[in-house]
Amino acid sequence: MNAFMVELKKWLPGQKRFGDRLLFCLTLSMALLGPQCPEAAVTPHGQPGWFIDMGRFAASAHGTFSCEQCHGDMKRGQTMHPDSEDPFFLKGNANRQYDYKRCNACHKPVFEQYLIGAHAKVLLKQQTDPPDEYNKLPEKQKAPTCGNCHSSHYVKGHLSRVEIGRQMVSVCGTCHPAQSATYLDNYHGKAAVNLGDKHAAFCTDCHGAHHSRSLKDKKEALTACKRCHPEATEGFTQVVIHNTTRDLPENDREKRAHVALIRVVTVLMTILVLLVVGFFYGHSFIWMLRELHEKLRKHK
Amino acid sequence: MTTQEKQSPETFIRFSPLQRLLHMVVMIGFTGLAVTGFSLKFSAQWWAHGFAWLVGGAGHLAYLHRFFAVITYGCVLVHIIWLFYFKLVLKGSITGPQSLFPKVQDIKDMFQHMGYFFGRRSIPRFNRFTYWEKFDYLALFLGMNTMGLTGLFLWFPEFFTTFLPGVFINLAQVLHLYEAILAVALKFVVHIVTTHLRPETFPVEKTIFNGKTTREKMMHEHPEELDSIEV
Repeated sequence: MNAFMVELKKWLPGQKRFGDRLLFCLTLSMALLGPQCPEAAVTPHGQPGWFIDMGRFAASAHGTFSCEQCHGDMKRGQTMHPDSEDPFFLKGNANRQYDYKRCNACHKPVFEQYLIGAHAKVLLKQQTDPPDEYNKLPEKQKAPTCGNCHSSHYVKGHLSRVEIGRQMVSVCGTCHPAQSATYLDNYHGKAAVNLGDKHAAFCTDCHGAHHSRSLKDKKEALTACKRCHPEATEGFTQVVIHNTTRDLPENDREKRAHVALIRVVTVLMTILVLLVVGFFYGHSFIWMLRELHEKLRKHK
Repeated sequence: MTTQEKQSPETFIRFSPLQRLLHMVVMIGFTGLAVTGFSLKFSAQWWAHGFAWLVGGAGHLAYLHRFFAVITYGCVLVHIIWLFYFKLVLKGSITGPQSLFPKVQDIKDMFQHMGYFFGRRSIPRFNRFTYWEKFDYLALFLGMNTMGLTGLFLWFPEFFTTFLPGVFINLAQVLHLYEAILAVALKFVVHIVTTHLRPETFPVEKTIFNGKTTREKMMHEHPEELDSIEV
């Protein structure tokens, strides 16, 4: 800021030096046109998304923060980012490198839920069990951190329940596409996502946002069902919501049998409908032709 | 099913006021059920969005669907009560040749009628109800009971899963959907075409609304019945 004022004073009436004016104008235009917060770069150079879109960032829920509030001073040891010697210093996949404990400073309850939730458990297992294997895993198979589901720079605040829910279905669906598709084929998904009914359940209403429960345990499932269906019993939890066998363990024979049964009934009903409708459409059509023929013959 | 009362030699009463009323209510109820039900099933489509918006959201769609279901099934109950009254008090026949009860003769009639479509045979001499009228009636009568049952499963899943496995709710959903498609595909197309849009009856068959039919139509469409009346 001081440098700015010095330049400004040089440029103000009374100062006649052309070179300083030129320098000032160049500085100003660089400040206005150039990247605003180059430290926030997260992806390797040359790929889209290198810089943060400050317009979108300013409109986001975190828009009032300075870069340092979340990113600190971007130092490791004595080296500071950006490092002219090493262009890749402190650059890489932010979802894997960022210290998400910083989120805990403001989002304590959900952070704690995440830590005891299924996603964090899988992440810990992936990182510790075969330690070298973790880095070799494709990005999509690594358990998610905060940043995989939430956009830290562009997250919108003050969204309605339905708006959040619609985003959620596509976010969860990036790793659980079969579950997202079958949810949308279910009454819950149709009412909530397609028709915007805020009383219908989105993903997290049953599975918990940060607990990420699989609900394979019947007691857990019953608790989830009872949030909206207080009279639910254990049988109620066996209603198939995600009608798919994808990602289902081999030993879950009960659900596999249920999905197969639903499929068989669907196929049989389709055949029945096609046969009956086909017969009567043909019947009516040929009948029409015959009566038209008779009418025309009478007119002759 | 009722014995024909002769107004004048040229006009016959084919449907009683109760039958005409029930037909009207079922017509409205069935259409309402189809529109609200399919708006939910095909809720990703623009027209479904439009209709859901018109009635005030998914909750209202579900409410209206159940409202139409209740009035439509109410008609079934009234009809069943009337069948008992007809059988027990009026001593009518609900399985005789004048009834809607399916007979072997209907299969024969169907093949003969199809022979007529190809110009090989004459139109069968139909009695009071033809085979396609019997099919229309029985499909709807049975369909409303099965749709009502599967619909109850979906209305009260908490209750039904206290004594049945949860997968029954899913099966009810599949049956409800495919039967709905079948019913709509038949009633909105086949029923309307065969009763109203055929060249013989085009543009509209008024008998079900005013109950009246003429001697000429009776001779053409229900000659057996005319014979039995005029014996």
